[in-house]
Amino acid sequence: MIIMSAESTMEPMLELFLFETTQLVEQLEQSVIDSEKCDGYDATAINEIFRIMHSIKGAAAMMMFDTVAQLAHCVEDVFYYLREGKPEKVDCMKLSDLILASGDFIKNEIDKIRSGNNADGNAASLIDQTHSFLDELKNVNPSVHTVDKGNTVSSQKQYYISQDKKAVSLKKQPFMATVFFEDDCDMENIRAYTIIPSLRDIAEDIKYIPENIMEDDATAEIIRTEGFKVFFSSGRTYSEIHELLEKTIFLKTLELVEIDDAVTEKPESRPKQIILEDFPDKTSKPIAQPPINVNKKAVSSSGPSMISVNVAKLDTLMDLVGELVVAEAMVIQNPDLRGLSLTNFAKAVRQLEKITGEMQDIVMSIRMLPLAATFQKMNRIIRDMCKKLGKEVQLELVGEETEVDKNIIEHISDPLMHIIRNAVDHGIESSAERMAAGKPAIGKVTLEAKHDGSDVVILIKDDGRGLNRDKILKRARENGLLHKSENDLTDKEIYSFIFAPGFSTNDKVTEFSGRGVGMDVVTKNITSIGGMVGVDSIPGTGSTISLRIPLTLAIVDAMNIGVGDARYTIPITAIKESFKPREKDIIIDPDGNEMIMVRGQCFPILRINQVFKVNTRTNGFTDGIIIMVENEGHIVCLFADELIGEQQVVVKALPPYVKNLRQVEGLAGCTLLGDGSISLILDIGGMVKRQKIS
Amino acid sequence: MKTVLVVDDMLFMRMALKSILEKNGFSVIGDAENGVEAIKKYKECAPDIVTMDITMPEMSGLEALKKIKEYDQNAKVIMVSAMGQERFVKEAIMNGANYFIAKPFKEAKVLEILNKVVA
Repeated sequence: MIIMSAESTMEPMLELFLFETTQLVEQLEQSVIDSEKCDGYDATAINEIFRIMHSIKGAAAMMMFDTVAQLAHCVEDVFYYLREGKPEKVDCMKLSDLILASGDFIKNEIDKIRSGNNADGNAASLIDQTHSFLDELKNVNPSVHTVDKGNTVSSQKQYYISQDKKAVSLKKQPFMATVFFEDDCDMENIRAYTIIPSLRDIAEDIKYIPENIMEDDATAEIIRTEGFKVFFSSGRTYSEIHELLEKTIFLKTLELVEIDDAVTEKPESRPKQIILEDFPDKTSKPIAQPPINVNKKAVSSSGPSMISVNVAKLDTLMDLVGELVVAEAMVIQNPDLRGLSLTNFAKAVRQLEKITGEMQDIVMSIRMLPLAATFQKMNRIIRDMCKKLGKEVQLELVGEETEVDKNIIEHISDPLMHIIRNAVDHGIESSAERMAAGKPAIGKVTLEAKHDGSDVVILIKDDGRGLNRDKILKRARENGLLHKSENDLTDKEIYSFIFAPGFSTNDKVTEFSGRGVGMDVVTKNITSIGGMVGVDSIPGTGSTISLRIPLTLAIVDAMNIGVGDARYTIPITAIKESFKPREKDIIIDPDGNEMIMVRGQCFPILRINQVFKVNTRTNGFTDGIIIMVENEGHIVCLFADELIGEQQVVVKALPPYVKNLRQVEGLAGCTLLGDGSISLILDIGGMVKRQKIS
Repeated sequence: MKTVLVVDDMLFMRMALKSILEKNGFSVIGDAENGVEAIKKYKECAPDIVTMDITMPEMSGLEALKKIKEYDQNAKVIMVSAMGQERFVKEAIMNGANYFIAKPFKEAKVLEILNKVVA
């Protein structure tokens, strides 16, 4: 997998932190929503959320985002309790809300950091809520043996008892060893304890001072000042024992002496630890429990290794490959080669073409990401809306593995959100209404993605009440949107009014939708990436909104046209038709504007040679060709010398030095044609503006 | 040059350690994002030192530590753990971990500990 990041200036570590934390929060949301669906948190979910919070905490603390770290720590505490204590009475609703709110807070802070602001959010109330939730949890579950994080020792008690009798010869000599550890080695008590297991192999009657080193971290200080004293008897020689103890990690000094039984310092009390053996130890379960829920997709342990690449580099790579293909054509079709018989050259050319073709495919595929993550986000929206609106809606995802270009993904997230909100708010009825209509009480929204040629089609279906044709018509009439007689409008045309700016039939504004913004945002976002929006609806059965979007923005199907010596390119999606005009269809209005009459309707003509002040080879209209294009709902007829042909072109931005020196309004970019010449990609809206100014 | 295997489920942490280590004359010859991978990588590249996160998916750092110690009892493993994990650190040290680094870590501390362990 490749991580793509847009900002190249950000410090790489920060970038990575933001990326991974965002991912973790998304996983967190998914876990919560999955758990809500199965009515509670199972062990896998608890472990997962614990791990996520733990990771966020660690990383945030490293980056000194203390508030995020603190909040993550609090939530982690709750899940630590859930994991270790296994309380029975858990208010799952409240817990979900709390985790999601925490996730939102972290997301919010991340966004702030990403946009260069200070992460100055105040999590105090959230932290308080989390604390009191945990306290309450402990109160209602008094039977749970509370486990204090960090102060209990697990599963190691057998060390205290078991003894390897074989290793001990019959003639035993008592010893006393005093051990000092290196300065600043920390946790001296634990380090001291590590001596015991190795000693056990060759000695018995092992006793030590201080005693309860495992339970009491304060003993570290005693060991630091007074040393760690071990008493034991062994049949091994002094040097053997000395050698063994010398191996102790971070050993500073070792003093080993043979002692008489009478030596008084020998501790009288039996080590307390022996009692521990029968003590029901709550913490002794393995830390890594095998996942109980086998339904979850198992993550392959030897998964593809990951590297992170700046997206700007990928863009450059894509550009370079595009240029390579063009350069290749320039070499192969070089005029100098004309008329030569080049058998071996032709062979080499075929090989080269094969490789560059494969390269193009690979570069394209690197930028492709599955829609799954974007689709998954919708779960959260549905959940929040259902809670607020008191509806029950289930989201079904189909084809979420469909891959599209990363840039496209960024553009469809908002439109999808708006559509889903509208579907749940306006489309899906309340449970009672649904039952009365003989539908299942739980509403259903389906999000489906599939490939269709060089496009991806995304369908958002709901099984709600459908669109209200009359209401839409009425509102359209009020807003002056009708451009032909009501009787001539097809149902589809009427439904499409919902995408018009400021259109909303809902009288009351809810928190989520009904402000009349939304659906026109959908149209705007989708058309800006060369896509199309459609809608269909059956009253009482539901509505379907379809988004048709290109797989990638970098390569578009386009028509190349010629005006004089210049070459221009128009995206195919913008072209409605092209035809040879007849002189008699041309109309000139009193202001001198040229219009053309097509099937009884008048459209303005834009002569490309006039707009860009270039020469034309045509004398009159009949020599050239009209290309009818649609832009933001308006139809414009472009007049050009000739059509050159259809081609897939690699879109390149105009270089900054051109943008700075020249007026580039009306141009969306440029591309290289097969013969190596440059063609300018037209931006119809800009052209209209440019013509108006001049 | 001493070789290090960096184990952590967060790429962020792996990169943080990697940049500190490589700046200071260690060679990070491998990384792993869970215990299973860590064991595999340990066998593959036989590093001088392993830095091991504790809380990871698939297999925790403690399990991985035990398995690595079983495979090579001279393995030098440094646990890297966040605050609030003392319990696991104790267990790790009893299972043969050489040292621990607390997250968030500072460059100087990391180097001090690694140098102690390889000394």
